[in-house]
Amino acid sequence: MKENNDKNYIRYIITLTVLIILFAVLILLNIKLGSVDVSVKDIIDILFHRRGNETNYNILWKVRLPRIMASIILGGALALSGFLLQTFFNNPIAGPYVLGISSGSKMMVALVMITILSRYHSVSSASLIAAAFAGAILSMGFVLIISRRVQSVSMLIVCGVMIGYICSAITDIMITFADDANIVNLHNWSLGSFSGTSWRDVGVMASVVLPTSLIVFLMSKPIGAYQLGEGYAKNMGVNIKLFRIMLVLLSSFLCACVTAFAGPISFVGIAVPHLVKSFLRTSKPLIATPLCFLGGSVFCLGCDLIARTLFAPVELSVSTVSSIFGVPIVIYIMLRKRVQ
Amino acid sequence: MIKKRCLLIAIVIIAILLFSGCSHDMDKSKKSVINQLNLQGNMELKYARNFNVDYYRGGYSLISISDGSKYLVVPEDQDIPTDIDEDITVLKQPINNIYLVATSAMCLFDALDSLDAISLSGTKAEDWYIENARTAMESSNIIYAGKYNIPDYELIMSNNCNLAIESTMINHTPEVKDKLKELGIPVLIDQSSYESHPLGRTEWIKLYGLLTGKESEAKQLFDEQSNYIDKLKGQEKTDKTVAFFYISSSGNAIARKSGDYVTRMIELAGGNYIFDHLGNPESATSTVTLEMEEFYATAKNADFIIYNSTIDGELSSIEELVGKNSLLKDFKAVQNNNVWCTSKNMFQETTQFGLMISDIGRMLTDDDRNLTELNFMYKLPSVDEEKPNERK
Amino acid sequence: MNTKYFFNTKKLTVGYNGKPLIKDIEINLKKGQILTLIGPNGSGKSTILKSITKHLKSICGTIYIDNKSIENMSNKDMAQKVAVVLTDRLKTELMTCKDVVATGRYPYTGMLGILSKEDNIQVRNAMELVNTWELRNRDFTEISDGQRQRILLARAICQNPEIIVLDEPTSFLDIHYELELLNILRTLAEERGITVIMSLHELDMAQKVSDLVMCVKGEYITHIGTPKEIFQKELISKLYDLSNGSYNPLFGSFEMERPKGVPKVFVIAEDGTGIAEYRTLQKKRIPFVTGILHKNDIDYQLAQDLASEVFFEKSFEPISEETFQSTLKRMQSCPIVINCLETYGELNIKNKALYEMALRQGKKNLESATML
Repeated sequence: MKENNDKNYIRYIITLTVLIILFAVLILLNIKLGSVDVSVKDIIDILFHRRGNETNYNILWKVRLPRIMASIILGGALALSGFLLQTFFNNPIAGPYVLGISSGSKMMVALVMITILSRYHSVSSASLIAAAFAGAILSMGFVLIISRRVQSVSMLIVCGVMIGYICSAITDIMITFADDANIVNLHNWSLGSFSGTSWRDVGVMASVVLPTSLIVFLMSKPIGAYQLGEGYAKNMGVNIKLFRIMLVLLSSFLCACVTAFAGPISFVGIAVPHLVKSFLRTSKPLIATPLCFLGGSVFCLGCDLIARTLFAPVELSVSTVSSIFGVPIVIYIMLRKRVQ
Repeated sequence: MIKKRCLLIAIVIIAILLFSGCSHDMDKSKKSVINQLNLQGNMELKYARNFNVDYYRGGYSLISISDGSKYLVVPEDQDIPTDIDEDITVLKQPINNIYLVATSAMCLFDALDSLDAISLSGTKAEDWYIENARTAMESSNIIYAGKYNIPDYELIMSNNCNLAIESTMINHTPEVKDKLKELGIPVLIDQSSYESHPLGRTEWIKLYGLLTGKESEAKQLFDEQSNYIDKLKGQEKTDKTVAFFYISSSGNAIARKSGDYVTRMIELAGGNYIFDHLGNPESATSTVTLEMEEFYATAKNADFIIYNSTIDGELSSIEELVGKNSLLKDFKAVQNNNVWCTSKNMFQETTQFGLMISDIGRMLTDDDRNLTELNFMYKLPSVDEEKPNERK
Repeated sequence: MNTKYFFNTKKLTVGYNGKPLIKDIEINLKKGQILTLIGPNGSGKSTILKSITKHLKSICGTIYIDNKSIENMSNKDMAQKVAVVLTDRLKTELMTCKDVVATGRYPYTGMLGILSKEDNIQVRNAMELVNTWELRNRDFTEISDGQRQRILLARAICQNPEIIVLDEPTSFLDIHYELELLNILRTLAEERGITVIMSLHELDMAQKVSDLVMCVKGEYITHIGTPKEIFQKELISKLYDLSNGSYNPLFGSFEMERPKGVPKVFVIAEDGTGIAEYRTLQKKRIPFVTGILHKNDIDYQLAQDLASEVFFEKSFEPISEETFQSTLKRMQSCPIVINCLETYGELNIKNKALYEMALRQGKKNLESATML
């Protein structure tokens, strides 16, 4: 027994180490690479001694670093949200957007764009963020209300998908009647991007994502109980009704935050938990939650780096990159599993 | 459970309240906001309503834009005044590293021969119809800086950009505006598309002339166009009606809304736009979509048709036009062979609006059957010359 | 206040969505007793079990554990008192068997659920008790059904409950594992004083392992009592609506339907020799008469269920002349005879005479019913 425990621990430590190394490397690459070449010496001066060429200083502190922080925080949030939902629904294709959140956000953003823009000709970025957040919470609220009346958990996925469809339909109606000029940017919003993140945004993101993630970590015990199914979880003392609500709330909050600041970013929430769990060979929440967060950060750091440097100055959408790189990785992992 | 729900709703509401602040400032036009400087006069503007310039002793100028933003232009050899209101952005001359996104402004810069003041563009080389702009980009004098909604901030900053001239589209992506300001780059939003008088759009050349130090050239170019209008003012208004539209791929007719600058051009030329109260004056868009039947009912009696080929491509014959929708066959203008088509760049070359208006005027009043080519329009020929000329 | 009962219910009514399914259930169990619920499918056994474990809200009435109503117990208290083994198939992801069993310690671990040394010892003990310790590192989805049930039982055990509730725990098990599981339950009840409440389909097992049996059918509990009281022919037949078969309480087994019609076959048997023939005849739906058996003979039990008519003598008595004559008379109407006996003893020597009589009468003599 002892040597198997050791084997497990070794596995966890190796995964953690690899992730930390990747994390550090990607942060460094993200700091160094970009449209403008900044030498390593300058980087050190700017970061640690707070002096240097003003342009480079601004580029590093105001353009690259906030973006890096956003990738880390939001990437982690997505992965965690996906992990929660995959556990909850016991379904490997569940992801953060399965509850219809991105459709709800898009609907509210479209609404705000149409009503405010047509009247005032301009809208603050803060109100778009708040709208996206509110839209996400709205669709989450509907799902929660329905979940109270529904016995089986898989019905929730159906509800989520249905709500997604309704929100999309309403959005389409709004688009039909709106002036083209007002909603031309809705499509761009839907593509997802970390561009233009400011330190103030980072502050808000962190204040939502970090406490929520901590709460998720502290809920490792009931999540672990839940992995045996609701029948056994209840028997072990978990308050099922409350747990369901908490789970939906937490994962939606995380996902809402991402959608509000960066638009919908697909695939990270589905792929990263799979990858992390298959490396760890365990789904124990105590180990899996922090490593999923780290994995999500690493993944997004990598995707954002590619998105903004590959075809500079044209920027790809982060969603596109995450799908293109994510899909082959997951397929490879799945195939390897089958062979074993 | 219910408590949790209420708490959640409360959080969301508070968040929205905290964050919302539509950035439309109420324009409180104070007369002299700068205390140390002495007001000397202001720029004479004939048709433009969306900007205003106050001159101050020492060569300072204060630009006020209709969206509430204010800019103090400080000459190269002067100092920046210390006690300025927070809402005024300082632009120190020379302003020679402009990031230009508003495509309509490019042609004004080109007319002023000030393309060298522009170093970054939001449009790719191949997408420019202005020759000089395209060549400048191809020879890397102007660099592409990414789409307006996800610009390459690093590139912009490393080129020491000192002014970003954006189009009103930037209002849809407020975070870009915020980011540019955060990086210390002043943002000026070109509001010329809101000018209702077509020459009001042209008059913005005076603003850009001021920024680039070419005020007198700007005035000259403007006056040239203004003269065309003045000539037409003397003439009597005809009772001829004109329909301006194009047929979209879904089979609808896209017309201009009444009061829009194109329809104004028709009015100024002495004609009458066929639609009286088309479209919603409050909305930001300038076009109105009509189903063919609806369009037919109102527009079939228009004396002239000007087909907008800037969207779909130039037509070569009346038959090609009728081919888009057979209802057009019954239009009076078609039957009387009074169909004109715009050349590619009509309505985009802002500096030629006066000439364009005089073109339309000639179309309306000149009875010469052989007149088929104007500066910006050409008459659509009929392939079949035996077409009977019915008069209704 | 029932101080001598550990688990009892008072006027318990259970059902779904406020609709009562079974009313006024009264159960009284002492500590360390095994109660088995039997009854036809859909009768409500699972409903009762779910109400006991608080998975389902009971409609009215009270359930007491050690004289405390479970209504007032917190989730944690319930977790430490009652453990379950359910029938649903578990779909776990990347969990080893040890992980699954370890979840049983949750009511006792700290906030993050990390197992202490004591917890690990408990887990090991539970797994060893059910002979699954060697499976501890295997993935839970990769073991057989029988092993899985044992793991789930180990999980329930290391939850250190006072009551274990099992819903059809032997449904997917072959006889080897079924016996094993029930043995473990018996051990738990005897040695650790754990009260067991479960439902079973296998009546023979229920008879052997339970202290109390409860019959669930219809709106009320029809019977509750010791196996001796419950496993009676009429009671069981009525409980399961046996029109197409019969129940033998002595063997605890079921037989298929008695062949109908006028019997043409006479079987001479005793001492267990007739059993195979009776079954063959039943399969072929051939009605038959049999005799002369002794009441304490094993063939007699089966003959009662399958033969159209049985001729028998009192236990321990040699066959009387009276019995012989009536049998002979009856045999006359049967053209076919099958003699299963090879040897005769003092008490049944008259069967030999019976056979010789049959031969003399020119009856068709068959070696075995398979030839029919």
